[in-house]
Amino acid sequence: MTTDTVARSAGGAAVGALDVTRLDLRLRRRATLGYAVGLALYTLAVVAIYPSFKGDSSLDKLVQSDPTMMAAFGVTGSLTSPVGWLNANIFNNFLPVVAVIVAIGYGAWCVAGQDEAGALAPVAALPLTRRSLVAQKGVALAAQLLPTMALTLCCVLLGRFFQLDVGVGELVTATCSIWLLGLGFGLLALVVGVRTGSRGLAIGVSSAVAAAAYLISSFASTISWIRPARFGSPFYWAVGADPLGGGLGAGDLAALVGLPLVLLAAAVVAMRQADLH
Amino acid sequence: MTDAVATSKLTKTFGRRRGVIDVDLRVGRGEVFGFLGPNGAGKSTTIRLMLGLYQPTSGDVAVLGRNPLVDGVAVRARLGYLPGELALFPRLTGREHLDWFSRARAMRSTKYRDELVERFAVELDRPVRALSKGNRQKIGIVLAFMHRPELLVLDEPTSGLDPLLQDEFARLLRETAADGRTVFLSSHELDEVQRIADRVAIIKEGRIVVTDGVEELRRSAPRTVEFAFARDVDPAAFSGIDGVRLIENVDHRIRLAFSGAIAPLLRVAAELEPVDMTARAADLEELFLTYYRDDVTTAEVAR
Repeated sequence: MTTDTVARSAGGAAVGALDVTRLDLRLRRRATLGYAVGLALYTLAVVAIYPSFKGDSSLDKLVQSDPTMMAAFGVTGSLTSPVGWLNANIFNNFLPVVAVIVAIGYGAWCVAGQDEAGALAPVAALPLTRRSLVAQKGVALAAQLLPTMALTLCCVLLGRFFQLDVGVGELVTATCSIWLLGLGFGLLALVVGVRTGSRGLAIGVSSAVAAAAYLISSFASTISWIRPARFGSPFYWAVGADPLGGGLGAGDLAALVGLPLVLLAAAVVAMRQADLH
Repeated sequence: MTDAVATSKLTKTFGRRRGVIDVDLRVGRGEVFGFLGPNGAGKSTTIRLMLGLYQPTSGDVAVLGRNPLVDGVAVRARLGYLPGELALFPRLTGREHLDWFSRARAMRSTKYRDELVERFAVELDRPVRALSKGNRQKIGIVLAFMHRPELLVLDEPTSGLDPLLQDEFARLLRETAADGRTVFLSSHELDEVQRIADRVAIIKEGRIVVTDGVEELRRSAPRTVEFAFARDVDPAAFSGIDGVRLIENVDHRIRLAFSGAIAPLLRVAAELEPVDMTARAADLEELFLTYYRDDVTTAEVAR
């Protein structure tokens, strides 16, 4: 007999599989919409000004003249091609950074933050397992990145009307890889939060790791001593091989999918041992 | 039927910080059990261990016959909890809280919940952050009681409630007990507990110092006696008597707390030729303070 059926036969029902997810999404509604709308407006602007820069060869010269400097901003290769333009302005920097910020914010808040505020105890005192609690937080994390990702993707698709044509399959792949990247860092923040019970530490540690991963990925192409470290950087898995240009390899994909799974398992283990207040 | 709560040598430490040590508690079904102690004594820690929110360092805890760490879902389905420092979600209204928690508990009927809302005049339409502590506490009470749990675990439930609502709450507890359900109630105020509890445990610095029925405690509680003299009297005369403690000595009046027989005390007092004497009935407050007082070691009070 499973724990659920025991509970039901004892006259009480276990908490539904998505109840906690729904609650957290409701609590984060404003932030989620804010980020999605903000990024959509930014993407529209990037898309709309593309025709003015399309023929500007001086931009490409700029990249060639100081590749290291440009790499710091996630700019590599041609700036004036559709893929190059989108990578340089959205996919190599802005979108992944926003995704990671949103994800770390939620990951640190959803257990450590709520527990520090004393709001987790009434939920944890409901008939649900620690595993379910963590899993539902994981689903909420994935779900709350979706509006930002989907709106950005739609806005990029509008690029067809601005001479900015990229393959739909590549666009979906690139967006999904960034979504998985966000998921990874969000779950890292969740794990650190559960382990330490501190929202501040969770944000600090995972932001520091994310910043290091971003710099490694960005400079890998131009600074030789950093280059070997690129395989350890989730940013590199997500954007390093240029998914928008069709470059996401099986290894990158496996790493991007594997990292959240490993971290989710770590979060479940940590949660089982955690003291909640 | 198994006890509602049974702990044995339950211990929780946080690194080098003391939580609770060797807590033995037994709460029968249908009982209103008071858990008394000053702030920081370990009341909330014990409660969180009962709910499976904390992992014990050692010892055992069984709630409704099950281990809350192993069968947490089954235990918590039959339990209602009101946390001590109740923090709800600031942006949600009371109604949103009740709706979410009712759904999460898969409650089939909200009739009793709505009765409670009316009874305690719960403010439902404003965001929780705009509510006073008392109004938030009322939402917490409804959340704990609305599914008619077999066991209610209430951590300082009346904090923030005005006296009228405290009375209403006491009535609710009596109804709950009359219904055969169990109430475990923590408090740092004796008054609250002695009004409604059948039995109490007093916890001090992480250890249970006494567990007894309220009536039994009252019988053994120190009584207070006051002697008035026509002149200054040295209270040291009373210090040699077993079970006597000086409370006050002002204006030729000496107030003493004593337990046990009164004869030895009267003999000493008579020698000093008092002009008046008043005695007060057994005072649980005085007993309670005896347990609280820092200079009394756990071993002494537990004798």
